[in-house]
Amino acid sequence: MKNFGKSILFVIIFFVLFVAFSFLLTPQENIKKYGMFKISSYEILEEKENTLDAIVIGDSLIYSGISPMEIWHNYGYTVFDVAKSAELIDDAYKSFEVVIASQHPKIIFFEGNVLYRESKNKPWFYVYQELYKTYFPIIKYHNNWKKYLFSSLNDSLEYSRLNFYKGFKYINKTAPGKKLNYMEYTDKIKKVPRENQETFAKIVDLCQKNDVELILISTPNMKSWNYSKYLGTKELAEQNNVIYIDLNIGNPLKIDWKTESRDGGNHLNYKGALKLSNYIGEYLKDTNLFKDKRNDKAYASWNEAYAIYKDMNNKQ
Amino acid sequence: MSYFSILYLLAFLPLVIIIYNILPRKIRPIILLIASFIFYFIYSKWLVIYLLLSILSIYLAGLLMKHVNDRRDKALNEEIEDKKKIKTKYKNINKLILLVTIIFNVAFLFYFKYLNFFQSIFHLKNKIIKHLAPIGISFYTLEALSYLFDIYHEKYKAEKNLLKIMLYLSFFPTIVEGPITRYNEVSDTIYAGDKITYQGFCYGAQRILYGLFKKMIIADRLNIFVKIVFQDYVRFSGPIVFLGAIFYTILLYMEFSGTMDIVIGSAEIFNIKIPENFRQPFFSKNIAEFWSRWHITLGLWFKEYIFYPVSLSRVVRKITTFVKKVFNNRVSSLLMGAIALFVVWSLNGLWHGAGYQFIFYGYYHFTLILLGNIFEPTIINFCHKLKINRENIFIKIIRIVKTWFFIFIGELFFNASSLKAGMQMLKRIFTHFTFHSFNKYVLTLGLDIKDYIIMAIALIVIFIISILKEKNVEVRDSLSKKNIVLRWACFYLLIFSIIIFGAYGDGYAPVEPIYADF
Repeated sequence: MKNFGKSILFVIIFFVLFVAFSFLLTPQENIKKYGMFKISSYEILEEKENTLDAIVIGDSLIYSGISPMEIWHNYGYTVFDVAKSAELIDDAYKSFEVVIASQHPKIIFFEGNVLYRESKNKPWFYVYQELYKTYFPIIKYHNNWKKYLFSSLNDSLEYSRLNFYKGFKYINKTAPGKKLNYMEYTDKIKKVPRENQETFAKIVDLCQKNDVELILISTPNMKSWNYSKYLGTKELAEQNNVIYIDLNIGNPLKIDWKTESRDGGNHLNYKGALKLSNYIGEYLKDTNLFKDKRNDKAYASWNEAYAIYKDMNNKQ
Repeated sequence: MSYFSILYLLAFLPLVIIIYNILPRKIRPIILLIASFIFYFIYSKWLVIYLLLSILSIYLAGLLMKHVNDRRDKALNEEIEDKKKIKTKYKNINKLILLVTIIFNVAFLFYFKYLNFFQSIFHLKNKIIKHLAPIGISFYTLEALSYLFDIYHEKYKAEKNLLKIMLYLSFFPTIVEGPITRYNEVSDTIYAGDKITYQGFCYGAQRILYGLFKKMIIADRLNIFVKIVFQDYVRFSGPIVFLGAIFYTILLYMEFSGTMDIVIGSAEIFNIKIPENFRQPFFSKNIAEFWSRWHITLGLWFKEYIFYPVSLSRVVRKITTFVKKVFNNRVSSLLMGAIALFVVWSLNGLWHGAGYQFIFYGYYHFTLILLGNIFEPTIINFCHKLKINRENIFIKIIRIVKTWFFIFIGELFFNASSLKAGMQMLKRIFTHFTFHSFNKYVLTLGLDIKDYIIMAIALIVIFIISILKEKNVEVRDSLSKKNIVLRWACFYLLIFSIIIFGAYGDGYAPVEPIYADF
């Protein structure tokens, strides 16, 4: 019994220290306003308020396919991926609320694949992923010790609280996709599930209230996208008076599925991501809504982040 | 499921511990067995069948040999005829059983590990078969063979309980990277089903944390540097290539000994004693001593099952008797040792991998040990005449550092992509010996000055613990006698140093289990 009591005390002290270190190492920028666990849960809160031009919301197709740092490097626009594996539309709506509270982007892209995922089909890792992200900030930010310890040392590779991927995940594997006729014509419409349609309407409302243009986008995806889903998404976009961009029919980005997918056509790899990122950059440029901020001192941290991003990619 | 994964440390192991402890003593070994097979299945899926075949083969062979021995004993008691003849007759039957079972087990190992290599030697490249090997096949095959040899030599009796043999070969902490245990070493504790004690749990957990400390703070941190230097060595000057070899040696030790800490710690929680695989190898004064401190269980296996049988074999004895007559006793015993060592290191090199660089690695150590054996008496004599005390601390340090140099070169070949690459790297160390750009590369290949500081602190901690171990001080025992505040402060320091200073997440690439490939 004595040992049991001691064990409990050990665990309690452990958690106190765990929270203390987590607090210390979590980015401090918005911590007062949003709290440690919320910042850990939504990476976007690491960014300074009202500094983002556009945001992309979606699932793994987004964090694999759109690299905000490439857009920054080539166009000077500030973009952020708010995406997680097997994202559900309810959680995407929550992300929307968080985004809108801290940022005023002019455009928000929304990945169409999320529309077809139903809450009842939540994958097993979903809850674990959420818990891990939210309640173990120290795991994510542990390397920030470099900011605090030996700070007088001027080293060449500075890790910092700076987010240098901006939601993107660099994966440079290649596994060719073979289902080349995945967008074969059909007149069958795969309707977006009713509950998801309702949530999507709420997102549209929120965007209108905040004067943000919402764009539905279906990024290249050989495995789970098809013509029926395209028709269903198009229908939903028309019902809600939202722009819809499909990047699958006719392969407008000229994705080479032999070399530009990391897992047999499901996700793009880094090479494929360069094409999609450039497309987004070009799209934003064509709107004439944004300035190139690469030489703007207020955004110097983005140039710093790009240098680290490049360095990290080269090492992998 | 690596031993360093969250899945193993925070889900699999805790779950097994809980289930094991709440069930009655009799069922506990079954829980370990089920857990071991689940663990194995996660790693190797249906290749588990090969493990099962090995288990069945040695179990049946053991029982058969026992049966033959029983009949022999009966015959010896009943028959009056020549006892030597009876013994020879039954021994030959057992020899046949032993041989067939060895061939059966080694055939799998050969198929999975060496077939492609030998096919390429004999230029049968288009017939190369691509296959995944069952995880830990090199380890459990040696364990299986040790059981067979021991039963054949009647060191202990064959096990009647199949489940015990199953658990012995498949035990989840040791199946992937060893240590290579002997059945009689672990049979008492592995199937005892002892209740988990508070002390056993704490000691086991501490040992696991120490393994994580070594692997996550040092090995994983060095990985990027090592990978870049070994992949792209033509870009770098000699000192950087040599630094790569030094870093790889440190990485290998931290990864492998760290894994052993987790393995031994995991077993310790269940009150199962697993033999140590390392004994401060970097305190060795020569290569022979190094190999008695590094991967100890492999060395002992080769010593007992290859070295002794070869050196005592009829052929070797005949040769050495002849040499003794022509030369003298010393030459004859050196030759006997050399022949046995040659066989041991040929097999040791091959065991580490199917590639010329591994064969070279084996012969490299064979040569160093043989030269050591030949020149040791001369050196001792020389030192004696010059009144140099070899046990003097400075001389000891010089000898240790000299040994390090040879180890670094050996490990350079061990990690090189091919023998040719290893040779070119070695050549480069000397032909491109310039410190130009040294500082630039040291600080840009995945490590910054802060990484070096953290690694240096971690290495100092490990060095102090190693000195204490060398002096037979059991750190955990000493710590357990201290007051609770100091004790817990040490544990929290260990835990949080792993969490905070561990090299994981963006910008790091953790080391894959190196010995799991063997």
